[in-house]
Amino acid sequence: MRPEFEAFLARLYTDAPLRARFLADPRAESARHQLTAEECDALERIDRVGLEFSARSFAHKRALKRGARSWWDSLRQLRRRSRNP
Amino acid sequence: MAAGEGGVVAVEARDRFGITWQPALAAGILANLDRIDVVEVIAEEQFAASSRAARALETLAHQVPLLVHGVALGPASTAPVDSRRLDKLARLVDRVKPAFWSEHLACVRAGDIEIGHLAAAPRTRATIDATAANLARATSVVGSRPMVENIATLMEPPASDCSEADWVSSVVDSADCDLLLDLHNVYANSINFGFDPIAYLDRLDPERIGAIHLAGGCWMEGPPEGGPHVSGGPHASGGPHVAERRYLDDHLHDVPDPVYALLSEVGARVRRPLTVVLERDGRFPPMRDLLWQLDRAREALGEGRARLGRRGAACEERPQI
Repeated sequence: MRPEFEAFLARLYTDAPLRARFLADPRAESARHQLTAEECDALERIDRVGLEFSARSFAHKRALKRGARSWWDSLRQLRRRSRNP
Repeated sequence: MAAGEGGVVAVEARDRFGITWQPALAAGILANLDRIDVVEVIAEEQFAASSRAARALETLAHQVPLLVHGVALGPASTAPVDSRRLDKLARLVDRVKPAFWSEHLACVRAGDIEIGHLAAAPRTRATIDATAANLARATSVVGSRPMVENIATLMEPPASDCSEADWVSSVVDSADCDLLLDLHNVYANSINFGFDPIAYLDRLDPERIGAIHLAGGCWMEGPPEGGPHVSGGPHASGGPHVAERRYLDDHLHDVPDPVYALLSEVGARVRRPLTVVLERDGRFPPMRDLLWQLDRAREALGEGRARLGRRGAACEERPQI
């Protein structure tokens, strides 16, 4: 297991256009990212349905975190404005 | 409570039942501390807390034993865990002196990419060793060993060469950490990937199980985003269990009956005191419903413990040959 393989998996989870290209041709897209033949083999057998569900779930979580951060940021902004009108 | 290693306080020798801290549940939790033995706080939610919120947490820690639960360290990775996160964890543990702290056996980032949640690492010898190394570093910085939690996943991690139960067991052994066994995660994965959850429990060393998480979930229906290319085709993963829907561990629903049955099975295997935590992150029902779920957990664990006791007694009564 190499960090490059982990990073590619993370991109598959988070990058929809890359994921679409990968699902259309897993071997070609994996090879394009300098993964080893063994890693390309593993990715060719990937749980495709699970990958899509995972990506959807992670996107939802990221959106929730962004929402929470925006809420916190806007509150801080409001407090700053009230102190320095 | 006596001071233990690092900032962690020694656990009392009995089963304990508690709930995850949520601001929406604060009044209900504080009003029912006679029925709640421990409260779990999410570490990352405390990192950015105001000084007022930090003081409130310390006050809470004087009223009920706390557990600190991390969700974003990501030790199941070939990359070293982030030092700044570890330092924050260490400061939090030192400040609130929890009964124990815990983290997920998950990868949450790779390269410069934040995945957003808990991803299953490929189950290989390399990730077992790397996870153990990360947990050793976390232990050294925080000053006490974490309990480590099995995660729910919607996808079998590619390039894996062992089962989830064997991978979790190996990490726990290699890292010399106890297991926070999330029974809803076992249940969800057993549904999604077609394995027997009892057989999963049989693969674990009962002496390593120190705590339990209970939660609920729901079905995610397909087809997922990305359209028709996800089903079939020459590259589709096979097996009769691969359905175009997956069961999601969402912490937004009540604990399903099979999870209580699994808790009973744990009780029938584990002799040491356990800490059982109900996780609920939203769609909160009335507090009495959550307390009722804790009561059901007490009953389920008690039923398993009684079975274990009867088996032990039967062994003692058996004549020696």
